[in-house]
Parts: sequence; structure tokens; C-alpha cells
Amino acid sequence: MGKIIDLDIQKCSACGACAVACMDQNDLDLSEGVSPFRVVCDLEDEDGEYQYYSIACFHCEDAPCITACPCNCLSKDKETGFTVCDNTNCIGCHSCAMACPFGAPSYRGDGKMVKCDGCAERVKHGLEPACVNNCPTGALRCMEEQDLKDVKIKNSLRKLI
Amino acid sequence: MMKQKTAVVGFGCAGYHGVKAMREHGYDGEIDVYTDSPWAPANPMLTTYYIYGKLPREATCPFGTLEELAVKYHFHAIAEPVEKVHSEERSIQTRDGAVKRYDQLLIATGARAFVPPIEGLDCKNVFSMRTMEDAGRVKKVLQQEKIESAVVVGASMAGIKLVELFHARGITCTLVDMAPGIFPIAAVPCIASEIEDRLREKGVRLAFSKALERIEEAGGKRRLVFADGERIPCDLVMMCIGTRANTEIADDKLKINRGIVVDERMQTNMPGIYCAGDCSEGTNLQTKETQIIGIWDNAAKQGRTAGANMAGVRTVYQGNMPHNITHFMGMDFIGYGDVRSKGREYVYENRERGQKFFLRMEEGKPVCMNFLDSFGASGVLKSYMLRKINGGTEPPNPAARVRLLHEGIPRELIELLMKEG
Repeated sequence: MGKIIDLDIQKCSACGACAVACMDQNDLDLSEGVSPFRVVCDLEDEDGEYQYYSIACFHCEDAPCITACPCNCLSKDKETGFTVCDNTNCIGCHSCAMACPFGAPSYRGDGKMVKCDGCAERVKHGLEPACVNNCPTGALRCMEEQDLKDVKIKNSLRKLI
Repeated sequence: MMKQKTAVVGFGCAGYHGVKAMREHGYDGEIDVYTDSPWAPANPMLTTYYIYGKLPREATCPFGTLEELAVKYHFHAIAEPVEKVHSEERSIQTRDGAVKRYDQLLIATGARAFVPPIEGLDCKNVFSMRTMEDAGRVKKVLQQEKIESAVVVGASMAGIKLVELFHARGITCTLVDMAPGIFPIAAVPCIASEIEDRLREKGVRLAFSKALERIEEAGGKRRLVFADGERIPCDLVMMCIGTRANTEIADDKLKINRGIVVDERMQTNMPGIYCAGDCSEGTNLQTKETQIIGIWDNAAKQGRTAGANMAGVRTVYQGNMPHNITHFMGMDFIGYGDVRSKGREYVYENRERGQKFFLRMEEGKPVCMNFLDSFGASGVLKSYMLRKINGGTEPPNPAARVRLLHEGIPRELIELLMKEG
């Protein structure tokens, strides 16, 4: 069991600071055709109330994208447990997109898959993922998946899925 | 105590995942892997990418070479072809006549390209596409000969990848099928006709409802002769009609329909004999009947389940539904469920993004969905449909809804899914 990035849905305001930090950290130039790793959005509930969300890869423990990839591009980072990608041999077949229940895989303009790696290198060096670091309300949290299971955390997006 | 002995027959996706899972679950007995192909486990889809030049030869073994895997997972690779699996004795008879007994067996022989027995298959430059050997042959012909025209027989997922390849090389290409439209086992007519329009616009010739009678040599070219009298000359013919499960090695005690029938632990009707991958019939969650679901991901999960059970760790894989995503010529066809099902139909479009969506619902459950160009939402929608056919009543969760909106799925369609949820 590794690390995950969770969202406290009561604290999120969908301000987009996380998405901008992510684009900066990962050098994502949307004008070149790549889709962002982190998406912010508001949804209206049945009572007409708005709820705010910031969504990216959930770094599933048994990540279905890993087995679906015919080119073995995806794996679990041994140290952090984040789902990471080496797209050298990616053929852009979109099998990972079909496998992911959250639509997390993104694709560059050249068709190769790119995704949120949990900022594994930052985390290995004791830093927070860029999105977590830049969240002004503390809604995004990087934690051990076990902690989420052990402790009763309120308002967790992960517990809603 | 004597160490257990396991045989794995066939070493594609399911065989590889079976062996991997056995070792990961602590199986420390002997493993003999019978494989008559020097090609390490790899998706047959990689063949066209290799011909295209998008993948170098070494990248067509994404999990390592056979030798590397034999060391990593500590197994003996045996190249002698298997003649028969004697299921009661749990023994394997190889072509050289040798018989070896085991404690348990995994049959993972996969599938082969199906080529109907028509006249003229032995003509020059008539190929199918399943293995790296096939890919090598076609690559060589394209490099060494002047190929100006090609006919792809079979509007299948393999066929369209060859159309893409030939189109990119400027080869005049005709796609033919006996069926009235493209992807006959996965696409509904309104989505198929949209794909066909786009292909025609790109210059691909289409000839449907055509029964191929024979192939003949004519003036240095191949000539395909159809039942309606039409003749199409070309330099290269690709036979991509479909696949057949490799079940011939199974003896008559094993239950076989189109594939070898397995339960949710990947066990056949004979004790100690497991089967996984494209040669097996697991459960179709939609029909509750057994069916070959020839998808890489499905083979991986079946192999993994077989391997865990063979290592003594009781593991269940409930099954799957037919589904696929095919990316070609700048578009994506995404299909789920039974294309011949009945029910109320809904069609939506996102004109700005060129996306088209088809849903067929019966008793509040989707029974068939076809989407064009919405690959970003494909996994969300697959997960939703699987949950529904498994009896789930929950609407798509917030993370799924955010993704659907972000990917341009029309609000009416999302509302329908929420309501039917």
C-alpha cells in the first residue's frame, strides 16, 4: 500500500490553483494538445447546492491501467506506491483510458500517454506534490493509503468513489 | 517432500500472468512453460506498430525476452510443440512422443488468425496478421517490393490497423467484408456509417456485403473474386476475418465450446487443469453465459487468477463483458456490450468535438454502448456499465461525473445515466 492524494470536498473551492501548479510542475502546454492531469469542476447536487472538486489519478492500489497497457509502460513506483509511467514505448492505443474508471490518463500532442505521477520525485525528496503544496485551503492532502483506511477522515473524495 | 510440478502450455498474455502470479503468491514448485514461439509475451496488436516503425523490434517484448522471464520467474522453457493434454492423467504429450506428468496444468494457448479455406491463399503476398512472424513477412514485402495497392479482407479491429498502416504509406487500400458495415460484431449501424464516411473521406475504399470466393494471380497482381462477380486487383492481400481459439491440444474430456470452458477460478471441468486467455471461455457478465472475450486485459486478469489459484490462494474473477477501444487514423471507436441486443435507443452528439454517442437501454440497464472519439471518458463509462450489469444501482460518482463533463459528454447523456442509475 502506498501514498495517495486525497481531496477534502468541504475545503475545495475549485479555484484551480492545483491545476496550474500541476501544469507548471509537469511542463504541460495545453496549446500543444496535452490534456491536464488535474481537472477542477463544480457539480450541482439534487438540492441545487454546488459542490467543488479537483480530480486527478487516484493511484489505485491494484491499478487497472497497469495490466491493460500492452506495452508495459505503467508501473507502481516502489518507494511511494504512486502509479507512474515510462512512455518510451507507448503506442497511444488508449487501452489505459478504457481501463481507468476515472479517466486519469492524458495524452500529449504526439499521442503518447502522460499522467499524474504523484510528483513522486518531489515526494521522495521530502516535498509535497505540487498540487498539494499549492492548495490554498488545504483541501488536497498527500497521505499513506493505510492512514485513510485506518482513520475516519471526514469529507474524503476517495471515500465517495 | 517432492516439489509440485506445474506445466503452462502457451506463453502469451495469460501464460505470462499465470506464471508471474504463481511466483508472486509464493508457489515454489517447478514450472515448465511449453512455447513453440520464440516471441516473448506480447499483444498481437503490436505487430502493425512494428511494421509502421513506431516500435523497434526489442520493444515488441515489453515484459522481457523469454530467456529473461525464465530467469526472473524461474521456469524451464520447452520449445517442443505440445500434441495433447491428457486431462485425467494431467500429462502432456509433445510432438516428439514424450509424455510428462504434472500436478497441475494451465492451458494458455491463445488464438490464431482464422483464414477461411478459399482457393488462392497460396498466391504471392497473401498474409494474415497475428504474430511477429506475420509482421516480419509483411514488413519485408513493404520494404523490398513496390506495393501500390492492398485489400484488407475483414473489417475487424486487426483489419483497420492494417488499413491505417497502408493509408499512411500512400498505398491504395480497399477494406472488404461479408458484413454490411465496419466492425460488425461491435458497432451499431449509426456509428458504423459515421466511421465509414470518415474513412471514405480519407480515401479508403470500402466494399461491404461482399463474399470472397477466391484469390487468383493475374498479370503479376493478385485478383480477389467475389460472389457477386466483382473483381479487385491488388499487390497485397491481408486476411483479417477474425480469430479462432487454439483448443486442439485439449482431449475430449475437457469441456469445449468455442473455447475451453472455465469457472470463476479459471478451473476447467477437469481437476487440476486450468485455462486462461483467448483459448478460454469465461463468464460474460451480461449474458451470464460463458464466452471467449479476447481482450488483452481480460487475458491478463484470467491468467493472474489462474496463477493465484494454482499457488493455493483462492481467487475469483467474476468475468467481463465484450468491450474494446480501437484508435485508428485519428479517431477512436469504443464499444461495449452486445451489439445484437434489443432496447430503447438514444443517440447524442457533441458536434464541436466531433463525438457521437449511442446507448441502448433495457430495464434501466445499458445493454450496448458505442462511442466515437470520447476515449477520455471510455473507462468511466465502462466502469458504469459493468456496475449496472452487476446489479449496481448507484449513479456515476462525482469523480466520474467531473470526467464526463470535462470530456465533453453531452449533459443529456449524463442526466440519462444519473436517472437510470
